[in-house]
Amino acid sequence: MNYEFTEILETIRMTEIEHFDIRTVTLGISLRDCHDRNLEITKQKIYDKILKYGKNHVKNAKEVEAQFGISIANKRVSVTPISIPFDSLTAEEFIEIAKTLDKAAEDIGIDYIAGFSALVQKGMTNGERELIKSIPFALSQTKRVCSSVNIGSTKAGINMDAVNLMSEVIKKTAELTKEKDSIGCAKLVVFANAVEDNPFVAGAFHGVTEPEVVLNVGISGPGVVLDAIKEAGKVDLQTLSEVIKKTIFKITRAGELIGRKVAEKNGVPFGIVDISLAPTPAEGDSIADILKAMGVEDVGAPGTTAALAMLNDSVKKAGLMASSSVGGMSGAFIPVSEDMGMIRAVQAGNLSLEKLEAMTAVCSVGLDMIAIPGDTPASTIAGIIADEAAIGIINDKTTAVRIIPAYGKKVGEMVDYGGLLGLAPVMEVRTISSQNFVSRGGRIPAPMRSLTN
Amino acid sequence: MKLSENEIRKITYETIEELGTNVSQDVIKEAVKKKIESLNNVPLSSINESSGKVILTSFGLNKPGIVAAITSALGNFNCDIQDLSQRIIGDFFTIIMILDISSSSKDLKEIQEEMRKTAEQLNIKIYLQHEDVFRFMHRI
Repeated sequence: MNYEFTEILETIRMTEIEHFDIRTVTLGISLRDCHDRNLEITKQKIYDKILKYGKNHVKNAKEVEAQFGISIANKRVSVTPISIPFDSLTAEEFIEIAKTLDKAAEDIGIDYIAGFSALVQKGMTNGERELIKSIPFALSQTKRVCSSVNIGSTKAGINMDAVNLMSEVIKKTAELTKEKDSIGCAKLVVFANAVEDNPFVAGAFHGVTEPEVVLNVGISGPGVVLDAIKEAGKVDLQTLSEVIKKTIFKITRAGELIGRKVAEKNGVPFGIVDISLAPTPAEGDSIADILKAMGVEDVGAPGTTAALAMLNDSVKKAGLMASSSVGGMSGAFIPVSEDMGMIRAVQAGNLSLEKLEAMTAVCSVGLDMIAIPGDTPASTIAGIIADEAAIGIINDKTTAVRIIPAYGKKVGEMVDYGGLLGLAPVMEVRTISSQNFVSRGGRIPAPMRSLTN
Repeated sequence: MKLSENEIRKITYETIEELGTNVSQDVIKEAVKKKIESLNNVPLSSINESSGKVILTSFGLNKPGIVAAITSALGNFNCDIQDLSQRIIGDFFTIIMILDISSSSKDLKEIQEEMRKTAEQLNIKIYLQHEDVFRFMHRI
């Protein structure tokens, strides 16, 4: 036999027992040729283009799932940051565009479409300002559209005017979607150093340097890593790092295979594999459980950041060996609401916002899916975004804030979205003020790191 | 089968060459449509995969007749069993087979569907996966 008995069983165990799945196959579609002086024609062009490339996306992905016996959790689409091709539009018109995206997503059978975005790390055009203004309305009037705004980069610094604007936008979005636990905020990401080929919604967009259309893959598999660590038993950390690397290598290889096959079926070029460990609310599919298996009593205990740093680094190293097209975020995600272990750590009082912030300095994204009290002032949210962006630009990495000021809710209450978005306990935020700092506005200059030439 | 834009363009150019430039657009459109349709009639199995190898894995509580049931079902679809290995641990069995389905009239999806029924009757698990996934994960 070409394969060892144990190898075949290992694969079966990963796919059938340990929740190994491909988290997302995301079709990136450029909308740069869709502008027209007439808004109705623009909308038609957007709709037609998404349907042209995306209409068989779900069907093709399902066929590949059956062929290889590996499930693909999400089939999604990302588009060019909407503010770029449609810079001349007004806020009202941007809402119309969002509705068009929503309709197109519905008609091709996907749950989310991402790219209602603007890149304003250095400054804002009039169109970008209008798009940002429209976000709360666009997110509250659509179901499937996701939005992201990049407010800082290592090369440009942090645009504090945009940070202040975004904190107001987040508050407004929370208010407009208050009937559904402020769900709008779960579809809105504020980035520093956003990547152009990220397949993970809500923060995905099809960057301007990307081709006409491309297929990117995001892998997952915390359950597989968790079981490998448990099986390894009491070994030193170097050995443990090897165990993690071997496991990630295998799932990255599978991810690349699936991505290439789906791309082939769609007749579009294959882009990248994002080797992120992304949790789901399912039992055992948790990053927190991995950290605990590594040895900390609970997430938040001293040592958590170091454990996470090692996990994240091992994931990257193995991924690089396994695929020559690694991209996106590529690391471990630590969203609170989507990870049962994280939720429990918050509820037990073991994990605070400040510890989470420290953890984001060594893992792939940032403060993700965190619910805070609805009466948190916008200036405090701006402070949180600025802190996170600072970690990003100084360390030359992507950071993000997806925070939910749950309208009308207080510390200890829960927001519950069901499905993959999960549920989150409202976390405590310090009440001391950031007002005088953030209201200075302007731009935090680019750090030393930017001068690499 | 899904054609890429380039392939369709190529077919169109060929058609224009065959028909000459004097015919109307509608005639060319019809001819191209026919060609694409005829291409689409090619059965999927013949263009689908480079290797027709599939790995079947089965587990469950051991009892007589399992190998017989699986192999006779596979025989009905003209699947060639190229390798077979079995382990018994306690009351449980594990069977792994390497199958060549390229001469079968059914495609992988249909065979999966049929084997699902066999698995239900015997109250065991049967998975069929394309060989590539194992090659990618375990071979560099």
